[in-house]
Amino acid sequence: MLFKLTPQTLKKLKRFRDIKRGYYSFLALCLILLIGFAGELLINNRALIVSYEGELYFPTYGDFHPGTDFGLEYQYETNYRDLKQKFDEAGEGNWVLLPLVPYSPNENHSITGIYKAEPPAPELKHYLGTDTTSRDILARLFYGTRIALLFSLGFLVAVYAIGIAVGSAMGYLGGWFDLLFQRVIEVWSNIPFLYMVIIIFSVIPATFSIASRIMILLTVMVLFSWTSMTYYMRTETYKQKARDYVAAAKIIGASNTRIIFHHVLPNTLATMVTFMPFTIVSAITAVTALDFLGFGLPPPTPSLGELLKQGTENLRTAPWIVMSAFGTLVVLLTLITFIGEAVRESFDPKKFTVYK
Amino acid sequence: MKTNISAKFLLASVVCLLAACGGEPEQEQSQPLPEGALTGAEQAREFYAANPDFFSFKTPEDIPENLEWETGLELPEIGSPNATKGGVQYSSIPDFPRTLRIVGPDSNGAFRNWILDNVAVKLAHRHPDEFDFYPGLATAWALEEETKTVYIKLDPDARWSDGEPVTADDYFFLFFFNRSEHIVAPWYNNWYSTQYTNISKYDDYTISLTMPEMDPDIIYNALEHTPTPEHFYDEFGPDYVERYQWRFVPTTGAYYIKDEDIIKGRSVTLTRDENWWAKDKKFWRNRYNADKVHLSVIRDSSKVFESFKVGDLDSFGLTLAEYWYDKLPDSDPDVQAGYIHKSVFYNQRPRPSWGISINSDRELLNNQDIRVGINYATNWDLVIERYFRGEYDRMKTFSDGFGEFSHPTLAARPFDIDLAQEHFAAAGFTQRGPDGVLVNEQGQRLSFTLTTGAEPLAAVFTILREEALKAGLEYRIEILDGSAAFKKVLEKQHDVYFGAFGRFLEFYPRFWDELHSDNAYDDAFLDDGSVNPDRQIKVQTNNLQSFANFEVDQLIAQYDSSTDVEEMISLAHEIFERHHEYASFVPAYVVPFYRVGHWRWMKFPEGFNHKHSESAGELFVHWIDTELKEETLAARRSGDTFEPQINVYDQFRSEN
Repeated sequence: MLFKLTPQTLKKLKRFRDIKRGYYSFLALCLILLIGFAGELLINNRALIVSYEGELYFPTYGDFHPGTDFGLEYQYETNYRDLKQKFDEAGEGNWVLLPLVPYSPNENHSITGIYKAEPPAPELKHYLGTDTTSRDILARLFYGTRIALLFSLGFLVAVYAIGIAVGSAMGYLGGWFDLLFQRVIEVWSNIPFLYMVIIIFSVIPATFSIASRIMILLTVMVLFSWTSMTYYMRTETYKQKARDYVAAAKIIGASNTRIIFHHVLPNTLATMVTFMPFTIVSAITAVTALDFLGFGLPPPTPSLGELLKQGTENLRTAPWIVMSAFGTLVVLLTLITFIGEAVRESFDPKKFTVYK
Repeated sequence: MKTNISAKFLLASVVCLLAACGGEPEQEQSQPLPEGALTGAEQAREFYAANPDFFSFKTPEDIPENLEWETGLELPEIGSPNATKGGVQYSSIPDFPRTLRIVGPDSNGAFRNWILDNVAVKLAHRHPDEFDFYPGLATAWALEEETKTVYIKLDPDARWSDGEPVTADDYFFLFFFNRSEHIVAPWYNNWYSTQYTNISKYDDYTISLTMPEMDPDIIYNALEHTPTPEHFYDEFGPDYVERYQWRFVPTTGAYYIKDEDIIKGRSVTLTRDENWWAKDKKFWRNRYNADKVHLSVIRDSSKVFESFKVGDLDSFGLTLAEYWYDKLPDSDPDVQAGYIHKSVFYNQRPRPSWGISINSDRELLNNQDIRVGINYATNWDLVIERYFRGEYDRMKTFSDGFGEFSHPTLAARPFDIDLAQEHFAAAGFTQRGPDGVLVNEQGQRLSFTLTTGAEPLAAVFTILREEALKAGLEYRIEILDGSAAFKKVLEKQHDVYFGAFGRFLEFYPRFWDELHSDNAYDDAFLDDGSVNPDRQIKVQTNNLQSFANFEVDQLIAQYDSSTDVEEMISLAHEIFERHHEYASFVPAYVVPFYRVGHWRWMKFPEGFNHKHSESAGELFVHWIDTELKEETLAARRSGDTFEPQINVYDQFRSEN
């Protein structure tokens, strides 16, 4: 931890635990994240374990296994669903353990021979149905959510790092630095964010891998979003700087670094924490909106926005697409909002405020 | 430069792109003209006088005696004699037009079809069944081969929609106008300066056009003109683009636009000219039947569909399987009740070149084995079978649908993992990396960026990507905005590109633009035919494959200068074969039909449409039956039903 928690902060955290709705939402979100990290074990077209001729294989992570590894004729990645069927039929003691949902988010799987949206079919393990090109919705939703969450966490960290650094510097140093940066931020924050993302992202060459393109999108979004955080940090630092304990620290001879990291920042924690959930919400919403408009994550990356778009285009013929995408978004944003509410309440010094 | 119309289309759309976001449509009050400014007609006279070689004034005695005049009158009528006039046709447009001009910046949008391409009468038109010319503004024409001149007799009945007669002067003005810099259309300036060498007036209703080359379709180049109304451009000058931005140009066609029918941002209504000069002419009398065509702006295609479904629009294109089978299935209550009819029409015409162009100038892609491997590793067969539900045909070469000119036996390479791997291995890609993508000894991955502007087909590229991976090839998909993608490929910045060039209803395919080395490199070859080591890639041309082959260059030159159809056919086949062998193009698919859903009151001729038609509405052979409309609407309210109509018109179906 960057700095030690004060007893007050610990008290606030305890109070957060007492606000049940927010606390359970927090636990639920952590659980979702945790499941997300282990997602490959749950939703994947690679088998968990293959037992072939007495040898065990764990294909989930690591290099791909060509079909020839398991006595098949082809050199491309094994289709484990077919392999399982084959082993079961042959009955030679070989077996395959598939994940709960044996589909990858990019894989077209259709039993009718036509790629189109199919309603939920538990017997095929398409628990939420398939999208318009017969890709499993649950898989796309799951990985889409994971990407959105990771994306927004990355966004949060980056925006906070810049916002806090600049904001605190402005507040603490004051003077011309403050004046100059205020003007810079005013100008910068008047550039319309969405248009800039669209313009920049449409001219970026796509010779990069998908991961680096996602990073570029993240960078661009951060570049145009860090400003709002600086306002709050600036005022908060200003406020703390004028307090007696900072003056006292100065008299004792504490360095600026020490004052900032040991005295001012811990006392601005309330502000930082309060805005966290909202930053995450705005990141998820922004990346979903960009995907919806077709300027977000590069295809075939699974994404909530892309699913929403498909869903609204096929509202009449395939309502299950929009329902699952919309449902996920609602659940996710509600959880985060509940957490945000609880955090705000627990960090509010006026304990018994009642909003009417 | 050899003529090419698809180039015109593309170039003009790039011009549109550059001039995008044109001014607000609020420029009704034009600046008064400066004192003493010449009218358009006066400027034109000066221009004629300054270019006496191009513009000749002759007498009827100068017309050669022994010309063989053609009139096209023996061709069958177009449309149905059952058609009735009247009613309002309700259709939609995706964007409000940016201008009412038909030349200059922004004029090459989709709206042009409604005021020019599908409506205006030209000198003569290709017959949509027979391919020969039927008369429009001309009554007869004759070709004199020795002088490469086409003589044309004009129809004295022809009138502009404002009542003025159409005379030889308007054709002269056409050349003045399109060669003027004021129109800000360099492509047109160039075309009208280089593709014609002379226009002569013999009397008010007789002209001739002379062309530099004796092409097999020289007649087409002479007759595919709609004149420019001289009397309309009195204020023609350097500010033409702004001044004429929102003025409707008088037309030779049946529909015109009244000022009060332009509701900015919302709708445009076309009105049928009751006294249209061609209304009783043989090829025109059964067409352009609706009294008004109301075009409302609806941006989103799913909203267009919903508007159609409630009856606000008369018809909707159902060519996509998704619409035909899922969104408006045969079991739909409106279809079952016979209110909405579904029609499939198989047509025959040159097909757009949907496919993947491989930029063979790039590293790795300059290797023939890799290109052949890519051909085998791209599973269009599966896309057609599964995504397009087996309804489209696989394209065979990059120019299909040209009758005898198209190659009789060549076919696209099928998806074949073993053959793909064989060819990749021959190029040094023998090992698979940890993700299943092939790598060579230098550690290069077999991975290429697939650039495209075809956003609606995003799902297709996912399928191709997954399938190609089986053969060890990785496609990185890059979906850009349509114009951004095309800009990128014109700069030759792509690895592989998915897209298409539109093909016009033409007699023979064109090779120069897409396959000649002139459009691939500056000085591609040395004099002895060997590759110039210092050659530089040439940008802003349609040779997206950087295809440069010295022998094919010779074949193209021979083909372009040939006047013998048989020779051209055999040359074309040879070029197709060479191109196929080089494997820089993965042919995708052709759509052999179009499908529409239309309300019961929108009627079509017995066979639905004509052989070479591109869409149901293109020839305006449909009509609106107002009585049926009332009957249908009443039946819908009361719940009465009619016989469902789901019709397949496959009389012109061919094997690709």
